[in-house]
This record gives sequence, C-alpha cells and structure tokens, in this order.
Amino acid sequence: MTATVLLAASLAGAGDSASSAPPPGVLLSRQLAARARISIGDTVTIAIDPAGTRAVSLRVAGIYEPTPDPLRFTAQRLEAHMHLPDLVALVADPTDPAAREAVDAINVKLTDPNDAGRFASDLAVRAPSVTVTPTSRTRDDDPFAVLDRFHVAISIVTVVGATAFLLALMVIRAEERRETIAIMRLIGISRRSLIAAVAVEGLLIAAGGALFGVVTAFAAEGLVNRFFQARYDTALVFLRVTPSIAARSIAIALPLGLAAGVGASWPLLRGEILSLFRR
Amino acid sequence: MTSLWLAWRTTTRYRVRAMLAIVGVAVIGALLFDMLLLSRGLLDSFADLLRSAGYDVRIIGSEGLPIVRVPIAGAARLAADLRARPEIGDVVLVRIERATAQGAGHPPRPITIVGTTQIGGGPYTIVKGEDLPATSSSWDRCPILVGRRLAAALGVAPGSSLRVSVRPEGIRSALPPIVCRVAGVVNFYFAATSEDAVATTMDALQEALGTSGESADLILVASRPETGPAAAVRVIQQLRPDLRAYSNEDVLAQFNQNGFAYFRQISFVLSSLTMTFAFLLVATLLTVSVNQRLGEIAALRALGIGRARIASLLLWESALLVGAGAVLALPLGGLLALGLDRLLRQMPGLPDRLHFFVFQWRAVMMHAALFAVTAAAAAGYPVWLATRLPIAATLRREVVG
Repeated sequence: MTATVLLAASLAGAGDSASSAPPPGVLLSRQLAARARISIGDTVTIAIDPAGTRAVSLRVAGIYEPTPDPLRFTAQRLEAHMHLPDLVALVADPTDPAAREAVDAINVKLTDPNDAGRFASDLAVRAPSVTVTPTSRTRDDDPFAVLDRFHVAISIVTVVGATAFLLALMVIRAEERRETIAIMRLIGISRRSLIAAVAVEGLLIAAGGALFGVVTAFAAEGLVNRFFQARYDTALVFLRVTPSIAARSIAIALPLGLAAGVGASWPLLRGEILSLFRR
Repeated sequence: MTSLWLAWRTTTRYRVRAMLAIVGVAVIGALLFDMLLLSRGLLDSFADLLRSAGYDVRIIGSEGLPIVRVPIAGAARLAADLRARPEIGDVVLVRIERATAQGAGHPPRPITIVGTTQIGGGPYTIVKGEDLPATSSSWDRCPILVGRRLAAALGVAPGSSLRVSVRPEGIRSALPPIVCRVAGVVNFYFAATSEDAVATTMDALQEALGTSGESADLILVASRPETGPAAAVRVIQQLRPDLRAYSNEDVLAQFNQNGFAYFRQISFVLSSLTMTFAFLLVATLLTVSVNQRLGEIAALRALGIGRARIASLLLWESALLVGAGAVLALPLGGLLALGLDRLLRQMPGLPDRLHFFVFQWRAVMMHAALFAVTAAAAAGYPVWLATRLPIAATLRREVVG
C-alpha cells in the first residue's frame, strides 16, 4: 500500500547510509528525480518542512512516470510514493495517538460496481462524517464531456464556413461552364447525366479535401503531441486522430460536397437552354 | 470611375458568389472573434471576480492551491497584528466547512458553510432580506445568508429557520445540529453553479464547531492604496514566514500559467487556423475571379488604365468581401460567444460569475487588424497575376480565340 506525499518536503541527495539496516524504499516521479539529479539506489532525506523537521532517510527504489492527468497537465509533478507506514511515521503528530490511524482517503473496489449507491448510503449511516465519492465521473460532472461538446460546437461552425466556401467555388465553376452545359444540353445529353456529372465532381472535390484533411491531421498528430509533451513535461496525449474521427470527417464532407456541386449547378440544369446563351 | 466604384460594380455583378464569400468570411470571422474574446476572457473575468471581494492579498497555509486543506493556526492573533500595521487597511478571517442543512419537511442537504469576520457586504449580492448583523446577540446566535439555489430547494426565505449540522473535515464528529435564522437570500460570487452555500459569522461557525476562534482557512487582506499589495505581502512574510501570501496579481499570474493554459492554447491554435482559412477562401475566390476576367482586365489595360489602378481595383474587391464579412462577424460572433459561454460554464465547480467570453474593445481592434492584413494578403496573388499579364497575348487568347 502506498500513499502520495502531499506535503512540503525538503529533499537532498545523500551519498551513503551509515546505519546498518537498509533504509526504506521510496519511488520518485521522473520530474522530481531529474530536477534533484537523483538516480535509483541513491539515499534521500525527506522532511515535513524546509527546515528538516523529522527528517528520514529513504532509498530510491525506482523512478516512475506519473499517470497523466488532464486536469493537472500544467502542474509540475514533483511527487514521491512511499509505503503508508513510512509516511504515517513521518507526518503523524507524535502527541496525538489517533494521528497514526488517520488517512486522507480509502479506495474501495466493490464486487459489483452497481452497488455503489447502496454502499454509499450504508456507510453514511454507519459513519456519518465520511463522504463517499465514486471514482468514475458521470457525464454531468465530467469537465471533459463539456470540453467535448465545446469542440463539437466549434467543428459545426467550421463546417458551416467551409460549406459556404465550397459552395462559392462550385458556383464559380458552374458559371464558367454555362456555355458548355448549354451546348451539351443542345446536343441531347440529358439533365440526369449532367446532374450525375456535377454530383460526381462535387463528391471528388469533397473526398479529395477530406482525405487531405485526414492525412494532415495524422501527420500533425505526432508533432502536436511532441510539442505539448515537451512544453509541459508530461506523458499526456493531447491529440489522437482515431479511425472513427477520420471516418466521421469523411462522412460529413461527402454529402456536403455532393449538395454543393448539385446546388451550384442546379439553376443552369433546370433553366431553358436559350437562357444559358443569354437569349 | 474610381477603383472602389468599379470594385463595387464587379462585386454586385457576381452577387451569388460574393454573398457566399461574405457568408464564409462572416462565419469564420465569428469564430476568430470568439477566439480573441476567449484568449483573455477567462482571465479578465477571474480578475473581476477576485477584485469584487474588495481584498487584494490572500493568505493560505500551503503553497499554491491547497489539495489538502492546511488551516492557519493563530489566525486571530495574526489578524490583530496585521491590523496594527500601517500598510494594512482591513483583515478578514474565513473558515470553510462541510455541513448539512435541513428545512422543515425536507431531507438534509449537503452544503458548504463559510464563516467570516467580514462586516457589511461581502462577495455576494443580496437578493432578499438583509446582510449578516455586525454583532451576534443572544437571541440570534446563528444568522445565515443562503444561496438562491439552496433557498429555492429548501423553500426558505428571510426569517425562516434551518437546522445546520457542521461536519468538520478529517474529524469523526457527531455534533448536534444548530438552528440558524435565514437573514437573507444571496447570490454568492465564488460559489459554483451546482454548489449549495451558506455564509454566517465566524462566531456562529465556531460555536457550531465547538472550537475557539484561533484558526482560519483563508485570511483576506486589503492593503492601503498608498502602499499597495506588495508592501502588505512583505509585512505578512515578516510576521509569519510559514504562511503563503499572494496578491491578486500573483493569483492571476498563477492562474494564467496553470488553469488558463488550455484555453490560451486552443484560442491561439484556432485563431491561426481561422485566419488561414479566411485567407485561403478570399485568395481562392479572387484568383478564380481574376482568371475568369483576364480578357476584361487586359482590355482595361489596353484602354490605358494603369497597373496601379488594376491593383487598387482588386484590393478594393478583397476589402469589400473581407470587410463585409468581418463586420457581419461581430454580431454573429457575439451570439456564438453567448452559446459557447453557456456551454463551457456547464463545467462542474465553476463560480457562477465566471465567464469564458468577455467583450473587450481590444479584441474588436485585433479582429479588424487581422482582417485588414488578411484582405491585403489575399489580394496579393491576384494582383500579381492581373498586373503582370501581357496585354496583346491575353486579348488575342481571351477575345479573338
């Protein structure tokens, strides 16, 4: 059983240990070990304040990468994990016998996770001063669910802007080909064939654009992650382009391209042939 | 005919494409405007929130934002020492505990109870009733201010009674409930939208806890204007080096560095993307439009219209499209910001008064400047194309051919 040190700890490397019994082990976060220039096997001193009160010597048994936490990605993860008895011996008030029994939190794994509500009410009856909080978040109290909705809203705005752009381009292309379409209709090519042609063209443009976007996103994924991981010294993954996201982008782009192609050419395909020659 | 007039005639001649281009620029411009509002909105809103309390230095028992609460021992003594110093204007002790509140006919409801020594006004707006009394009396031992949400949930109004059981953190306690009188219903500035909060006097909270008034979670200090918060922080550090004192500016700097980082990054990334998008949109449309009108432009050049006027014509066309889109983007962006702000404020634990999108004239100026640059840059390639074209060859190809 381990506990995270959440106290003002003064930490200094000490090359040797004079006592015969080996000091207890401690795990240091990669960031803390790098900052204090400590390696595995070193002996360090941890105290409860910068003045060195109740200092204890501990042997660095390992260096770990802290679990990435999106809510704390800007925080410097200067942390250490040690055995609970070692931590209690370090921080407990010697004049208070109950202090050795105190912990900040107890993690409980239920046999059936669906019993969480019943477990919380049972515990509230037996220990009224204890607060029970589920470790999993619901959709309502998850900040990332809110951020997700924010990103979706921005995506919708971007798609609306892009659609206007695509439509403007298709209108220009349709105007360019006014006389070509008129001649094709004069020589007997059916409206249906012409509509199919502009629809295929719109689809191809949209598919090309969507594929370019997906390839750019895949290429940028590594760069963006490496930049922000270096910037905040974290292993957190900031950007992940999944196949479902890529598929969703293409699935949105294709119908929009089709609609833009047909919509822009529709006035030319529907009108009288002579009007296309401005007669 | 001026270049502007000619550009206007060209734009109105191709109404559909011009309208679509303006709509595209307006939508993208609205997003850009919102990202500019977001780039400092949360920080400005947080600064307003901090200043609304009327105190410019905060003293806490641990470094940074406390994960584990560290109470400030000897807080009353420290407050007395600080009040005696010429750099200090006012000192308020604050203690925060968890509790349950029970109204008549309602089950107990978990609340946050804040005890304060502040007299007359605090970080709240009174909606109904009155403020906390300056002194406690034997007949009114526990006056409380109740948040509007909690008052509605428990069906209480000024003059009603509430049974409050305080549950001190980290202590197994079975303190008996005390009956408190609702003095007023308020909107707390710092309370989260989903949080049920109650404020009372420090004496009342200490009595409910059964402790003396020597400990506080937070001490708020107002420095004297002539010396400023930096001098107040120095005084606090001299008196109690074991504590941490932060001026509002320190808190804002820390917030800007940590809590605000995500929104600063996304604002920068999306602003850059929207600018690129607007540039591509206008540059592509103008280039295609120029390619369509090569014969017309060559004819104008053949008639004696100089390169500078042709360049000016295209610049005006770009300015008309981008300008109209940018102007439309402001009200559109305002509406979009309202929606996005409402969406982001659903985040749990955010104070009710905190906003992500805050209107600033600086953002409008920046928006205008960025679009002016975009209009000029987007016209660059079409201008180069139009001014460099060989007149005779173009006329032969476009007109005779």
